[in-house]
Amino acid sequence: MNIFVAAFGFGLVSMSVIAIAAVGFTMQFGITNMINLAYGEVMISAAYLAYYMNKAGISIWIGMVAGALFGAVFSFLLNRFIYAPFMRKGTANLGMVIVSLAVSLMIANLLLPIVGYYSVSYQEDAGRLIRIGSIVLTRDQIIVIGIAVVLMLGIHALLTYTRLGKAMRATAANPTLARNCGIPTQRVIDSVWLITGALCGLAGVVAALNADSFAIANGSAFLITILAAAVLGGAGQPYGAMIGAVLIGLITELSAAAWSPEYKEVVAFAILVLVMVLRPQGLLAKRGALAAAG
Amino acid sequence: MNTYYAANLLIYAGIDIIACLALNLQFGVSGIVNFSFIVFQAVGAYAAAILSLPPDTANGGFQHYVGGLQLPFPIPWVGGAIAGGLLAIPVGFVVLRKLRSDYQAIALLVLSVIANTVITNADKFLGGAAGLALVPPPLSDRIDPNTENYQYLYIGITLVAVVIAFAVVNRVVNSPYGRSLRAMREREIAAASIGKNPVNLKMTIFIVGGVIAGLSGAILVGFIQIWAPSVWLYPETIILFAAIIVGGRGNNIGAILGALLVPVGFEEVTRLLNSNPNIANLGPPNLISALQWVAIGLLILGFLWFRPQGVRPEPRMVFEGGPD
Amino acid sequence: MRGFERYKFVAALGAMVVLAACGGGGSTGGSGLGSGALLVGVIAPFTGADAALGPAYYAACLAAAPSINNNGGVGGRQVSCQKFDSRGEPADGVPAANAMIAGNSNLMAVVGCTSDEAAAVAPIIDRAHIPMFCMTGQTEFNKTTLKYFHRLVPADIYDAYAMVGSALYGPGHAPYKKAALVFGNDIGSQAFVTPATNAFTKLGGTIAINQPINLAPGTSYRTEVATMLATHPDVILTEALGAAGTYLKEVKTQNGGQMIPFIGTSATIDPTWFKQVSDAIGVNDLVKYYAGVDLGYSFSGPAYDEFITNLNAAASTFADAPKYKQRGSTLHLYDGIIMTALAMNATNSADPTIYNAKIKEIANGTSGATVVTTYKDGVAAIKAGKSIQFVGAGGLNSFDAYNNSVSGYIWVTYDNQGNEVKAGQMTPEQTATIAQAGGI
Repeated sequence: MNIFVAAFGFGLVSMSVIAIAAVGFTMQFGITNMINLAYGEVMISAAYLAYYMNKAGISIWIGMVAGALFGAVFSFLLNRFIYAPFMRKGTANLGMVIVSLAVSLMIANLLLPIVGYYSVSYQEDAGRLIRIGSIVLTRDQIIVIGIAVVLMLGIHALLTYTRLGKAMRATAANPTLARNCGIPTQRVIDSVWLITGALCGLAGVVAALNADSFAIANGSAFLITILAAAVLGGAGQPYGAMIGAVLIGLITELSAAAWSPEYKEVVAFAILVLVMVLRPQGLLAKRGALAAAG
Repeated sequence: MNTYYAANLLIYAGIDIIACLALNLQFGVSGIVNFSFIVFQAVGAYAAAILSLPPDTANGGFQHYVGGLQLPFPIPWVGGAIAGGLLAIPVGFVVLRKLRSDYQAIALLVLSVIANTVITNADKFLGGAAGLALVPPPLSDRIDPNTENYQYLYIGITLVAVVIAFAVVNRVVNSPYGRSLRAMREREIAAASIGKNPVNLKMTIFIVGGVIAGLSGAILVGFIQIWAPSVWLYPETIILFAAIIVGGRGNNIGAILGALLVPVGFEEVTRLLNSNPNIANLGPPNLISALQWVAIGLLILGFLWFRPQGVRPEPRMVFEGGPD
Repeated sequence: MRGFERYKFVAALGAMVVLAACGGGGSTGGSGLGSGALLVGVIAPFTGADAALGPAYYAACLAAAPSINNNGGVGGRQVSCQKFDSRGEPADGVPAANAMIAGNSNLMAVVGCTSDEAAAVAPIIDRAHIPMFCMTGQTEFNKTTLKYFHRLVPADIYDAYAMVGSALYGPGHAPYKKAALVFGNDIGSQAFVTPATNAFTKLGGTIAINQPINLAPGTSYRTEVATMLATHPDVILTEALGAAGTYLKEVKTQNGGQMIPFIGTSATIDPTWFKQVSDAIGVNDLVKYYAGVDLGYSFSGPAYDEFITNLNAAASTFADAPKYKQRGSTLHLYDGIIMTALAMNATNSADPTIYNAKIKEIANGTSGATVVTTYKDGVAAIKAGKSIQFVGAGGLNSFDAYNNSVSGYIWVTYDNQGNEVKAGQMTPEQTATIAQAGGI
């Protein structure tokens, strides 16, 4: 078996998981200007919800839908009751980052006594192995890749063809102008939190399924990978996040095959550093990431 | 309250004050959202450690690291400070482009995680995940570190470091450099039009901030005598940023207040919750410990809500001789 | 007092004087046991990535306290337990240790101190002259000079040798020829690799692959497993990885549903590890393909019976406590606390500078010592003027000059309910061969 081709196959799975999460994260940043450090914790909360449903005998795919709904509602409420009021008060961008960190600390530590500190797994038979040449994947992994593809196409359709999507892009580019043009910014923002929250929740269940076992610590660990993908592609750019996810997913697995696996994330991050040195605004960023005259 | 615990709190306060002064320089004055700040403290700690440790064959040879020069105080502290400054050069080079401040922030945050992962995996370089242990405390050959007198000594040298750091930072903030930077923060275009080069200025301030951050790391490692990647994960940076915000950004007194309130105050007061056995033993064992973190989060949110300008807001500088 | 009572009183007084004058064990005339409550501090991670460690040690204290308190306490003093969260890293462990010592003048012993923070907090506790029982296999403590440090778990290299022994001489299989070493790259892990490699290769095996893996949570390990499988090992030597189920489940999946034999360190004898791995690969495969190593616990006898009774009773304070009934660290810390209380009785002193040295003596026993298995029996023997050796729930202890205790290893497996089952034992010759090949 050619290990590199197998690694490529695993890379497809990794990139799918990262993509779902990273696109949601970067859209939150692009449209609402929030670096939401609580994103990882919302993901892991959804994963645990799906776990309890799974323990009660419900299929993990239904758990995924439940996770998405939960993520949407939770993120919407977080914004409604915490983020938006702080923003209305005029809290600066950096202050909002600290707010999101405080929220993430609270979520993680409220969960800890409830769900416990040890890792858990979903009861899910991953299905038979499917071999395509040297690529060896389970049925579940192929389904995850499929879900990711569908979601990416869906986001693309949303942004390109729907009124809401265009309103989102306008708000991302210039909120004041968008409002002056009559775009109901408040409703757009609410929709953004619902949609990206759903992506976040879904990503949480998918990531937990992919990781075979998970605990609360997974939330913040995964956040870093998401950040890396988002930064690589250009923060705030959904297509950039997709590309970032592809690159990080593939490079991680291929380098694990080529060198010692303990360095696999380091290699991916090293590519990120290179990109940041050569093109600090990320691969796809438009001028929006660059400060206007300082 | 005994001498050792009191000394612990005072020394941690000193270290956090120095760290916040450095961060205030980089962020409050220079406007760089350095979310990799903790790496600067870490690099200072590692440098001080390998300068003061014996060669890695000592103590049974159970750890592996470079250096091991066994140099006496104050060389390790100076070395730590220099290391912090040296790190600022490539990092500053990468981020001192025209980038949105919060975008800059996530990029630096990721950098700090990369650094932590690399050091953890590079076993033979700086001790890997286990880090460096049995670091000789400063002046341990003169005074036995396990005595109360040594605690007073350590408080003394920390205090000296705080005073030096404060003096340096004050000079910078009130110097022509500092004034130019504040001008730039307020009106960058105007400042550029009178010939101030923002990038050079920012880089200089960034390096000075790095030097002071490195010093704080050297002091910390000398006290706890151990340094490992688990000590400098990315949330530590955010706690320090919270300190700056709670204390009041842009001014040194605010930085000091923030250091006392957040990393020392919030974190230690919540630990005090534990000292009452009725509270400590409530519920499952993780409950109170976890709730301590929830309390810290609530305190941060509370401050940001009720007093966003910080305990001591940046004083507006008014100069005489404006237009009539 | 009436006449007869006075006579009895004087006789008793005289007897006590005579006893005190006798050497050879019994009360050595310390200044008395004092009054007021006594505290055992549990310093360990209760939050953060290693939050699973603290509760196991807390359970040990919750079980030990009634064993002491229900039998007269320490001179009537009642023992209680308190947690001190080190948050899993040394910079937080230091103030936790200092706060623990500053706030409690009645600390009789400290338990816990894991690899995460031991290097920083052990010197602090030693300086305060409090006996501590630390759960760290780190090599730096193999020859420690800290007098108050006690280690009841063996250094990691002994685990490694036992695992190599299992691979070469273990029951139910021919000696394995090719081993894959899969250990994490964190503080506690790498000390296994070198001794295992040395021992295994010198005794005729080959290491198919040494694969240090990144223990960051959420990693999927797919490529690692593929790489490892490509080297076709006979057996995997591994440890209690954080997300224990992940790697092993991946092995089973990529190997077409067929598990490979794997041998785990003593840390894999743990209810949470059993649950995670049986969730991941199924109980049947776990039972069939797993072999573990552990210190030779009998899980029976009067000491263990008392331990388990009190552990189950502790469920009213800490619901998960009964789960730790077979966890080595819990057993050992339970013993450590009881030995400390016995040492206090034996020296008739509440001053740790006096009773600390007695702990080792009670554990190792002197010649002619009476073997006792419970606190109650120990106190009675001490009162009768005997010197004692305490053999508790965790079995025999044998402290060397550096207060490290190493007792015999056995090979174990699990049954379907997660109970540890002894599968075999290394002979002394085998132990010596491996230790020599590995080089201590």
